[in-house]
Amino acid sequence: MNLETSSELLLTKEQLQNILAKLTAGYITSAEPITTTPILPQYKKLGVLVDFDEIVEAKATKVPTYKNIVNAKTTQSQYYSCIQCRRQLPTAHLLDLHITELHDLYFAASVERGDKPLYACYIEECTMKFYMPSERKDHCITLHKFPVNYRFDQEKITKTKSRKKKDADAMDVDNVPSSNVGKLPYIKAFSFGHPTQRTFNTRKERGSDKALNDVQAMKEALEDMD
Amino acid sequence: MELTATTSEPPGQVNDTALRLRTREYARQQRKDLRMDTTDALRFGLGQIKDKISELENLGIKDVQGMASRIKRRKHATEEDMYRLSHAFLQGNANINAFAEVQGATQVIVKELTGTHMQRQIEAAECLCNFSLGEAHVCEKITALAGSYLVTLLNSQEPRLKRSCLWTLGNILATCRKSANMLLQMQLATKLWKIYTLPSDDLRGYQEDAGICLYLIATHAASSISVDDRRHIAENLHKKQPAEPAAEYYMYIVFQLEIVSKERDLCAQHFQHLYDFFMANLNIGFNTSADKLRTVYGVRVLANMFAARPSVGQLELQLEQLVNVLNQLFALRDTSLTMDLMQLLKNLMDAQLLDNELVLEHLRVYA
Repeated sequence: MNLETSSELLLTKEQLQNILAKLTAGYITSAEPITTTPILPQYKKLGVLVDFDEIVEAKATKVPTYKNIVNAKTTQSQYYSCIQCRRQLPTAHLLDLHITELHDLYFAASVERGDKPLYACYIEECTMKFYMPSERKDHCITLHKFPVNYRFDQEKITKTKSRKKKDADAMDVDNVPSSNVGKLPYIKAFSFGHPTQRTFNTRKERGSDKALNDVQAMKEALEDMD
Repeated sequence: MELTATTSEPPGQVNDTALRLRTREYARQQRKDLRMDTTDALRFGLGQIKDKISELENLGIKDVQGMASRIKRRKHATEEDMYRLSHAFLQGNANINAFAEVQGATQVIVKELTGTHMQRQIEAAECLCNFSLGEAHVCEKITALAGSYLVTLLNSQEPRLKRSCLWTLGNILATCRKSANMLLQMQLATKLWKIYTLPSDDLRGYQEDAGICLYLIATHAASSISVDDRRHIAENLHKKQPAEPAAEYYMYIVFQLEIVSKERDLCAQHFQHLYDFFMANLNIGFNTSADKLRTVYGVRVLANMFAARPSVGQLELQLEQLVNVLNQLFALRDTSLTMDLMQLLKNLMDAQLLDNELVLEHLRVYA
């Protein structure tokens, strides 16, 4: 663009029209080297200083947080935890996937029918869906560059859960006496000479299914002893 | 009598205790927030910490190697381990390289980052933030091992964790293009745009950090951004308002990512939003680099917008306001800005959005 060099003069309408006539209308692209120097200074990488007193303080407050119900709740609220199996997940999307894939019977039925892809990608913004969890895993590894051992992967849990579920189904259909499993007394009734503390301990409830299995195993062991 | 009556009433006492506990909890939370704000200010560049804190424990390569071997052996890092590592990383690049060379040590930090213990997660994120002060190969390692988690944890509810992840990502984006490309494949841009466009009543102020990250993407890896990410940003252009934090990066990001281009059809509302944003965000003083950034790239975006030839009905342009702004910008007599302004004028004339003769009559362009 040839602008006249005289500095103080204002361009007349005709001069302006002439200059504009020489230009071609179009887009300014980011590739064009219009300004050689960046406007903002170069980004300076910065680390963060951790205050050790804070860590000590956090450690010190750790004990009361387990004792104090209010504090325990606020600590828990930083996570997204499943109300059924108490699994803690870092995002709402991952928790949503977890609940749908592990605790939703309608979803399980839909997967069995297999008419449409149902397993959503771990990345919330990705709209892809898959027929199999393994397909999703491949997609995440190849396309989103996830690590092979992605820690929030539901696949392994799905496998173990489905095996458990098959057993549960078998019990419902074939083995009538085992349907009484749900009526078994709570494990805390057994103390073996060590008095148990009677508190509302949520950590015990986490593995309630497991506890019931333990009761069954224990009953069998007692029968063997007899 | 009244006192005994109140003390003998168990339900009231229970409520009172619960209330006290809640008050204490609020006070604790407030203290924590204030402390977090204080720690925000404590950010250091590589080696800078030695000049600032004289009584600092000097940690060398051997210390780092020892700590790395220990955490690797135990497959677990305590808060103290991560604290010492964080300090060691701040002290120099040699420490960072020494840690990076120990196979399996970074994985332990990643394990802590993805665990269920919140305090340890925070320490791990801060440790990785200082680790990311290293060179490109270190950043590549962090991206490969922890990139997906850092992106995922941007949705975390814990402010300090979220902020540390943003800082770490910023350091990585500024260091290594390969890592930036990998992070973009994890749909980082979309996630950052969501944070950047959070409403201004969000007092945590993540917008500034997200804006910086997007600025770094736009500078170093604009060509690697996916079509889906571009579409998402284009569809959500209107969510950023000019009065919100980090608004100075907006036009730069829009321009560098070619959101307004012939390949993309923006709707009338988006064009109007861009125009209104430019007018509201403009600070013609050109005093600071932020003012310059918003002006220069705002003019370019506007020029491209007129090149897209929106129809007259789509845009509500006020001739007087536009001419007034253009005159003020021409009066700055900045060579490159004047060239952009001439291109804007040419595109505006061709789009036939206003009375061209009237515009030319009122313009004051210096030779």
